[in-house]
Amino acid sequence: MESDEEDFVFYGTPIEREEDTSARKRKAIVEAGSFRNMPSWKQEVRDEEGRRRFHGAFTGGFSAGYYNSVGSKEGWTPQAFTSSRKNRSEMKNQSIYSFLDDEDIKDMGGKVLDTSLKFDTFGFTAVDLARKQAEKEQKNRPSAIPGPVPDELILPASSSIGIKLLLKMGWRQGHSLKETKANSLYDARREARKALLAFSGNLREQSHIEAGQYNSGEYPEMEADSVFSSQNTPILLGIKGTKILLPSPTSSRAVGVHAVSTAARGHFCRLAKQGEGSWLAPTQGGRIGLSLMSLTQARSLCGSLACVHLGRHHRKYAPGFGIGALEELDIEDEDIYSSGIEIVGTVVQEDEPSRSITTDGPRLENTKQGVLRGFRVASNSDYNLERFPPPVIPLDFKPHYQFASPLDTLDKFLEPPPPEVPPPEDESLKILIDGFANLVGRCGKIFEDLSREKNKSNPLFSFLSGGSGHNYYSWKLWEAKRRHSDQQKPSDVLSHPSDRSMTADTRGRILGERPLERSYNDSVKSDTLKDAVHFQTNLSDTFTKPAVLVGSSECAKPFQYDLAKQERFEQFLKEKYQGGLRSLTSGGADKMSEAARARERLDFEAAAESISKGEMKPTDSLHSDQNSIQPSNAGDWRFVSSAGGPSSQDEEKLSGILVPKREEFQWRPSPLLCKRFDIIDPYMGKNITCLSVICGYYAAHHSDFLTQMASLHLQPPPLQRPRSKMDTLMFINDSIIDAKSERLATESRESSLNVANMDLPLIAHSETPSSEQTTAEQLDTNLRASLQRPVDLYKAIFSDDSDEEDDSKIAAVEPKKRSEGANKTLNRLVAGDFLESLGKELGLEVPEDPRPHVQFDNAVSSSLAKAIGGQKDTNLSSSNNKASAAPDNFNAVMGIKEAQIHEPKPSGIVEKSVHSKKKSAKGDGISGRVENDLEKKEATRKHYSSSRRQRNSSGTDSSGEPYHSHSKSEKASLKRRDKKQERYHESKRRRSRGRYSSDASESELSDDAERSRKSKHRRHSGRSKSKNR
Amino acid sequence: MAGEGSAAELPRKEVDVLKGHEGAVLAVRFNGDGNYCLSCGKDRTLRLWNPHRGIHIKTYKSHGREVRDVHVTSDNAKLCSCGGDRQLFYWDVSTGRVIRKFRGHDSEVNAVKFNEYGSVVISAGYDRSVRAWDCRSQSTEPIQIIDTFADSVMSIALTKTEIIAGSVDGTVRTFDIRIGRELVDHLKQPVNCISLSNDANCILASCLDSKLRLLDRSTGELLQEYRGHICKSYKMDCCLTNTDAHVTGGSEDGYIYFWDLVDASVVSTFRAHNSVVTSVNYHPKDCCMITSSVDGTIRVWKAYTN
Repeated sequence: MESDEEDFVFYGTPIEREEDTSARKRKAIVEAGSFRNMPSWKQEVRDEEGRRRFHGAFTGGFSAGYYNSVGSKEGWTPQAFTSSRKNRSEMKNQSIYSFLDDEDIKDMGGKVLDTSLKFDTFGFTAVDLARKQAEKEQKNRPSAIPGPVPDELILPASSSIGIKLLLKMGWRQGHSLKETKANSLYDARREARKALLAFSGNLREQSHIEAGQYNSGEYPEMEADSVFSSQNTPILLGIKGTKILLPSPTSSRAVGVHAVSTAARGHFCRLAKQGEGSWLAPTQGGRIGLSLMSLTQARSLCGSLACVHLGRHHRKYAPGFGIGALEELDIEDEDIYSSGIEIVGTVVQEDEPSRSITTDGPRLENTKQGVLRGFRVASNSDYNLERFPPPVIPLDFKPHYQFASPLDTLDKFLEPPPPEVPPPEDESLKILIDGFANLVGRCGKIFEDLSREKNKSNPLFSFLSGGSGHNYYSWKLWEAKRRHSDQQKPSDVLSHPSDRSMTADTRGRILGERPLERSYNDSVKSDTLKDAVHFQTNLSDTFTKPAVLVGSSECAKPFQYDLAKQERFEQFLKEKYQGGLRSLTSGGADKMSEAARARERLDFEAAAESISKGEMKPTDSLHSDQNSIQPSNAGDWRFVSSAGGPSSQDEEKLSGILVPKREEFQWRPSPLLCKRFDIIDPYMGKNITCLSVICGYYAAHHSDFLTQMASLHLQPPPLQRPRSKMDTLMFINDSIIDAKSERLATESRESSLNVANMDLPLIAHSETPSSEQTTAEQLDTNLRASLQRPVDLYKAIFSDDSDEEDDSKIAAVEPKKRSEGANKTLNRLVAGDFLESLGKELGLEVPEDPRPHVQFDNAVSSSLAKAIGGQKDTNLSSSNNKASAAPDNFNAVMGIKEAQIHEPKPSGIVEKSVHSKKKSAKGDGISGRVENDLEKKEATRKHYSSSRRQRNSSGTDSSGEPYHSHSKSEKASLKRRDKKQERYHESKRRRSRGRYSSDASESELSDDAERSRKSKHRRHSGRSKSKNR
Repeated sequence: MAGEGSAAELPRKEVDVLKGHEGAVLAVRFNGDGNYCLSCGKDRTLRLWNPHRGIHIKTYKSHGREVRDVHVTSDNAKLCSCGGDRQLFYWDVSTGRVIRKFRGHDSEVNAVKFNEYGSVVISAGYDRSVRAWDCRSQSTEPIQIIDTFADSVMSIALTKTEIIAGSVDGTVRTFDIRIGRELVDHLKQPVNCISLSNDANCILASCLDSKLRLLDRSTGELLQEYRGHICKSYKMDCCLTNTDAHVTGGSEDGYIYFWDLVDASVVSTFRAHNSVVTSVNYHPKDCCMITSSVDGTIRVWKAYTN
């Protein structure tokens, strides 16, 4: 029964017994009721059946929301949302009290430090205040015209029209109205101060000082002021600043303390103290800004303000020493701050400050005239108007500048030359004099003097001091000097460009331009060297037209006092009105700072404008110049190409019509570029491949290439072609090979010679011209096939490796697969051809330039020629292989490839193999030979592998052929590696090229190495199969 | 012959003068459909015009130096410009704001072009390089730098798959992206400007020996030389007419020349500007031409028959 029960299958949900559920529910209800009474932290959330339910981590564990409800602690009603949009928290006006605690405020004793409008030096706020005051008054005043009209209409101007105008003109508040020239003095002083500060090494203070200067901008002549922005400045720093400032001669004179209000809104109050309680700030320039502030608790003030004590304390300290506010040097210092400061609040205009300053001597009494009450003349002013006597002009001073040697020598040659003197009889003396004169001519008179001094006693040098041969010497010297100066002239001109008024010619010469008037050849000769130097300028200048404006602007020279500037101005004019592209940075301009340049540019702009408005109207003439540009004028300067030298240009000119030459290079577009152009990257998945392919063939020609290769391999992808060596190498196309058989025939011979000279392991060759023609011809056709078929390369690569043993084994063991493979390759070939032709028909650009192939062909054919040349005496001489059918071609190529692959093997074997291939190429279908060959291969495998490492040297032992007649190369292993790599890359490249050209073989060529190997096997087999047919 | 008949249809009537540039106008270019044109000049601005109505539409200011070349995408959404400040500016046409600046050229940038999709800007500079810049990504680094030139690269032209650039080293180089090769055509004369024929089979290269040369692109063969004008020191444009029947170019004496494409005879010449004609550009479809000059004007030319 039980077993029966187990066999039952239950469908649906079983009916629950009523008692159970109701009990649970009841319990839940009861519990729910009791829960309500519980404190909220004890309440647990249950479902309707009273089970605890877990809500998950994100919903709050056992209770979601507020105890599994949407309520809140406050109940169901959510807190009213109050928007802060209209009800912003009020902006608090910060005052100093915001930053002071009760203790501080108590310390201040109820005195408030604040900015005072009274000393708003420019009066903006005061004006505003006055206006407000006026408005207020007006409101109170009964107006004559009833109604609100006048109040609203007639408003007191907030700022005068003058200020408005000034503002429009770019003046800003707080800036001086003075002209830049007046400012320059101030600037100079400021610079000096800055330099001083920089010298003192405290950069931070410098910045503060600068801020101070900015603030005090309306007193450009004030020297001693330094204002420290209080808000961020630590007090100690400020004090330090004063100390550093003091050494400046002016500040040491000043007695004053400048403190900045906390607001630091550009108002600055100057605190001056004189004697007991007042602070005084007399400044040098004649205006005295004096403002006193209630400073009761200096100490607390210092806590929040930067209080700078400038100048010296007149009673206690020697001039040049400053006292910091916190520097407790003396009790007196504390007195300064503790004793209440009375507010004076006056601005005093001192008319003749110089008088009070210069009247040195005994201290003036307070009551004395010329000194204001509350002021005291400095005890000892170290401000002395130092008067320097004018420099004494030396008696022999000539008010004309004497140019240095070159011009000097030039002048000399204006003198008549000394009479020509026959050389002295003594040949050695003559030589000595000649040489010496040359030397002196080049080095100057100093050399002569020196050697005269040196060789006083030497009779040989008596010609220097009037001895024998002196006349001859002087004549020679004159000659040498003239020669030298002739050489120097151009550079001489260069060095003094601004000494003369510039003409277009001189200017052109300076810039190394080539005037066209001269006969062409002449200029080429003379200027070739200089061209190289001045090429850039020359080139750039040709964009502009330098000569056009120079003449016309000569009438108006607004910067005559500064020639360099004038030159730049002309340049500017030229650029402004002329078309050229590259602006020429003419002399000196590049040394200027950007700001200076900008300012100068503004100057120029203004000057140009004034010129254009002026009576002379040079701009009009400019325009007329432009309008009447003569062809000859325009052609004064010419482009000179750096690539095609002048000589080649000459040739071109001679030959008349130019024939464009076309070259082709490999170029690797970046993958992203391809992507953006929506083009499949032709080099996709390849790094070094292209180069290596080329290298592979290039290596066949240039023995030194391998070393170059090695270095290239270290670098990642060959994005740029190596210019020198690779120029002749080009992209190798898989599609077209031109009929270059004749050339090939001859070239293959040459190249075979080449190869013979290298230590590349290639097959022996012995040249026999009789057979060469035929072999070459055949090779050519073979090559076409081989080049067109990417197929071969697999073998080329892999059979070179050690695993070729397996290949051949498989080939020998699995003859069945061969037929299949052969068919496939056949199909592939046909398909390839078809696609190629299709591509042409569709107008797809098929790379076509025979030249690379020539190179390529040479390389391959050379090896092939060798292979065949080496064996021709055995079996090839009789064969006239006219391989025309594709499979035959293919086979032939296979054979050749095989030959290449096995090239390191003893030549006897190779011969055999090639022989067999040739046979098969002929289509005689002797499969046995292949088998035989393969067997032999296997048989020699051991020998081969043992000799692999030293192919170059040991390969010869099995045959006497002279193909290894070269010494062992140390780079042999390197080469081997490279070679393998090349082949590998070659194959890769081929593969992806197949993809590119959408070859049918693509499907077969998997990227997988194993598959490729398999296909290779197939090909192996296919080869022999086709032979069988 | 045909030259005479077609000469009447050459744009020789001055329809409009677009004034606004202060100083020389260095280049003027039609947009893709020829409804608008863009100009740039020494006053450091780019200007957008409607040449047919003679209206100045917008000015683009941001360049710090003179602007030498400008190009607009085929969808008229973006501009690129280059010039003396050694960087490329990538603009939004409607807002007039610079979207991006491409820095990297070591010297002045002479020419700039968008590719077909407006995704890449190709620029050619005085620093002997051609650079490709990506507009899609945020990268401001060039995608590729082509620096095989021996001298300043003056002009570039783009096809769908190729970058063609003319250089002062006397070469016209074609970089075929699809095949990955570089074709170098040695003209042995500094190349000032290159422009493609409308069928893109020929390159017209303006050389500084005052000759225009027409090259066959596939073979590199010199098809024709056009002479008569003066072009010795300025970067001056040349182009083929929309029908490819004529070759046109400016001259340094302010003249415009029209040559017959085939027999290289001067079909028409007239004085268009007071000074050097820096740029000529032909409407892609209609018989309309715009020229710019150092004299600061842009002139719109149309045929008398219209």
